[in-house]
This record gives sequence, structure tokens and C-alpha cells, in this order.
Amino acid sequence: MLHVENLHAGYGASEVLSGASLEVKQGTLVALIGANGAGKTTTMRAISGGLKPSRGRVVLAGQEVQGLDASRIARLGLAHAPEGRKVFGPLSVEDNLLLGAYGRLPRFFGFRTKAQTDLERVYDLFPRLRDRAKQASGTLSGGEQQMLAIGRALMARPKVMLLDEPSMGLAPVIVQEVFRTIRRLKEEGLTLLLVEQFAKSALEVADYAYVMERGRIAVEGTPAELSRNERVIAAYLG
Amino acid sequence: MNVQIIGQMAVSGALMGLVYALIAYGFQLTYATSKSINFGQGELVMVSAFFSLTLTNLGLPYWAMIPGGLLFGALMGLIVERAAVRLALEQKSEGWILLTIILGLFFFSSAENIWGRDDRPFPTPISADPIHVLGVDVTRLELSVAVGVIAIMGAIELFKRRTLLGKAFEAVSADRDAAELMGISATRTVMLSYALSGAVAALAGILVSPITTVGPTMASALILKAFSVAVVAGLDSGFGVVLIGMCLGALESLASFYLGSGWREAPGLVLLILALALRPNGVFGKATIRKV
Repeated sequence: MLHVENLHAGYGASEVLSGASLEVKQGTLVALIGANGAGKTTTMRAISGGLKPSRGRVVLAGQEVQGLDASRIARLGLAHAPEGRKVFGPLSVEDNLLLGAYGRLPRFFGFRTKAQTDLERVYDLFPRLRDRAKQASGTLSGGEQQMLAIGRALMARPKVMLLDEPSMGLAPVIVQEVFRTIRRLKEEGLTLLLVEQFAKSALEVADYAYVMERGRIAVEGTPAELSRNERVIAAYLG
Repeated sequence: MNVQIIGQMAVSGALMGLVYALIAYGFQLTYATSKSINFGQGELVMVSAFFSLTLTNLGLPYWAMIPGGLLFGALMGLIVERAAVRLALEQKSEGWILLTIILGLFFFSSAENIWGRDDRPFPTPISADPIHVLGVDVTRLELSVAVGVIAIMGAIELFKRRTLLGKAFEAVSADRDAAELMGISATRTVMLSYALSGAVAALAGILVSPITTVGPTMASALILKAFSVAVVAGLDSGFGVVLIGMCLGALESLASFYLGSGWREAPGLVLLILALALRPNGVFGKATIRKV
């Protein structure tokens, strides 16, 4: 579903990604783990178009998308819940969710009716968002904002969802809740690429995982294989 | 001092102040989406007024001329965005400042060549006879300014809150990169904001022209005051510009009555200096205004 090949990208003259390749098959959850500064978030941004890759290919559902505008890639079926959540603070929770489905809703009138089923689905998944539907999203707690960011990405009915550091800055009990949700989404058949610093939690839900070091994939394998790999244990699971 | 005269002066001044507010609102629209403004906005007001005058002279009735003028303003706004703003923003440069000024100068000399240098009257079916409201005399013409300003600002605010496209406009204003991830094209949204800003400038020209006449220099004083209002209220203050615009208009009118017409510009400048010294983000503002 998502195929990334020899991706190079960076900021100005400094190259952060130097040839990352990975593959996310339909209906699977793939985890991308690694130390701070290894290039995980840069990989995500280069895939979703926030950063233009200088070399390499990104193929989404059979179509090459590298170099396209982020908005174009999003409309082709890639939803990216970015690091730091990036909810639209002044807008209400419901408006945030509606904008998640922007690509397939009418621009002027009748968009709320058309999005109703998807809204209900997200509210069922995160009942707390239903309670706060009219509230400005900037006033939500970190955990609620993360749920909103995931919900907003779901609204697009994406072919692939990128989820960047969903546990960042959250209390352990909330992190558990987030991971329960991720597991549930995977069981519903969503195709997911997950970046996570909590390597252990990520490997528990993943079907396959890549370990990133200095802008390249250093090790890859199933969670079971990685859990036996001494280098991975020493660096990330110790 | 006579209370009634003060009231009279304050009310007519405040009604004129709404025009400053409207132009300042046009600055806010583009600042929200792109953190840039058109420094040639005054010329946009002026050429739109000339174009509307031409439509009227061609025999178009007043009410049919207004949409034509607004459309022309929107088109000019798009030209400004494409010619002076987009490339500069893509390169994260401040070049749009100089480019919008230069484009304004170009519009100015074009207007002089096409329509001449003379000030011309702008015909309107709205009567200039005073009517008596709450002890002060206002003309229907002055009231039409207030109605026009409130109507277009209300319509645009309603659009931003009630339509998905409007919500997308707000999303780009809040976080451009995140909006792109939702499939919202930031470039198109910035274009939309410049088109709206141009239409707003055109309406300001149409509303003010019957009172001030139309000429190449008609907007140079207007635009300075609109800048003052935008800076004093804050470039992200929403309806704050209305309040500040009306205050400034009233102060000006009182200053020119009591101190002489030479002092007309003084309140605006004093207000501007005070605001920059005391509240650089604007009285109602949130974010820092880019120092230019």
C-alpha cells in the first residue's frame, strides 16, 4: 500500500535521511523506531509531502507521489497525524474533525450531514470528543488533543495513516489508552505506519518493524525477530 | 462647548472611520493566511473606484455596478498575490513588502494615464439630505457607508464560520502545515484571502467615493489611517478594527473642528505612536506584528 524506496531528504544543506526504504502492506501496522534525531519524523514528513525529498520514491497505492504538494498527497489517501498533534487550536473539536474529511466533503453547504456517519464513528471511538464537540480544541488536554489528531486523520478514510509519536508528553495511563485505540484500529483493518519512541509498546502492536539509525534503516524484522536481536535489545529495549 | 456639536462631529467622524476599519479588515484577511499584506492596497481602492465609475458612466445602474466593482477588486487582489506575494513567500523572503509597493505605484500611474489626474464626482442614487436620528443629523449617504461595511464584514465572517471552505481558511490561518495535511491547499487559500481583501478594498472605494470624489490620490490619506487602525487594533483582532476605526474617525473629526483642519491627521499619528509604545501587538491583538 505504501512503498518507500531510497528516500533522501534534509533541511537546507544538511541531509537527515540518506536512503531510507520501507514497505507497509495493506491492513498491517508497521512501526518505525529509533533514537532521537535518527530521522523518524523526517521520514514521515518526506512521505506526506511537508518536506520535499531530494531523491527516492514514495508509492502510495500504486501511484508515485514524491514531490507532490502535501495537500495533493492527502487527497490521494494518506492521512498524517503529525508529531505534536497540531490540532487547529482556535477551531472547535467538531470543526477539526470535519476538516479531516475536507477532501471528500462539499465546500459550502451540507458538509455536516455528509460527514455524520464518520463523525459518529470517531465519537464512538473517543466518547470524550463527543462531550467536547463544541469546545475550542486548544483548550483540550494533551491526551484529548492526541485523540482528536487521530480522529481527524480517520475522518479522511485514509488508505494509509501515518501516526507520529502519539505518546509524546502524555501520562502513562493515557499512553496505554492511545495504544489500545491503535490496536483496535489495526483490528478494523487500517493500514498504519507508526513512529514511536517507546519501542516496547510499539513492537507489541506492530506486525513488522524498522529500526532507524542516522537516516537509514539499520535493522528490520517482525517484532519477535527484533526482540531477539541483541543490538536492538541493548539500544532500545533494555 | 456644545454637546450637540460634539455628538454631531463624533458621529459623522465615526461613520467615516468605518471605511478605515474596512480597509484594515482587508489587511487582516491576508495577514491571517499568509502573514503578508498588500502595501499597495490604497491604489487598489482607487483603481476599483475608477473602474466602478467607468461602469456607471457606461450606463450600468448603481446596484448592478457594485458586484462588478467587487469582482474587479477581487481580480486585482489575485493579480497582487500572483505578481508580488507568492514567489516571495515561497522563498520565505520579505520581498513582498517592496513588490506590493511597486505594484501599487504601477497601478497609480496606470490610473493617471487611463483616467487622468482630475478628481471626479461619483454619482449615487443615495440622497445626501440629512435625516435626524437621536439628536444628530446624518445623511443617508453616511449611513450607506455603515451598512455596506457591516454587511460585507458580516458576510465574510459568516462564510468563515459556516462553510467548510471558510473553516479551511481558519485552519490555514491557525497552522498552515497541518492544514496541508488535511488536503487543504494553502496556496489556494492565500489566493482566496487576497481576492476577498481586494473585494473589500473595492467596496471601500465605492462607499467612500460619493463623499470624497474619485481621483488618483484619493486613497493616500485613507490608507495611512487604515494602517493606523490595523496596527492600533492588532492585525489579528477581528472586529477590533471596527471599534478603533470609529474612535479614530470621531477623534479626527473633533480635532479638525476644534483645532483647525490642519490637525486632522494628528489623532491618528498620536494613537499610532502610543499603540506602538504601549501595546505593540495591538489593543485587541494576540500575536506579534512582524516588524517591517
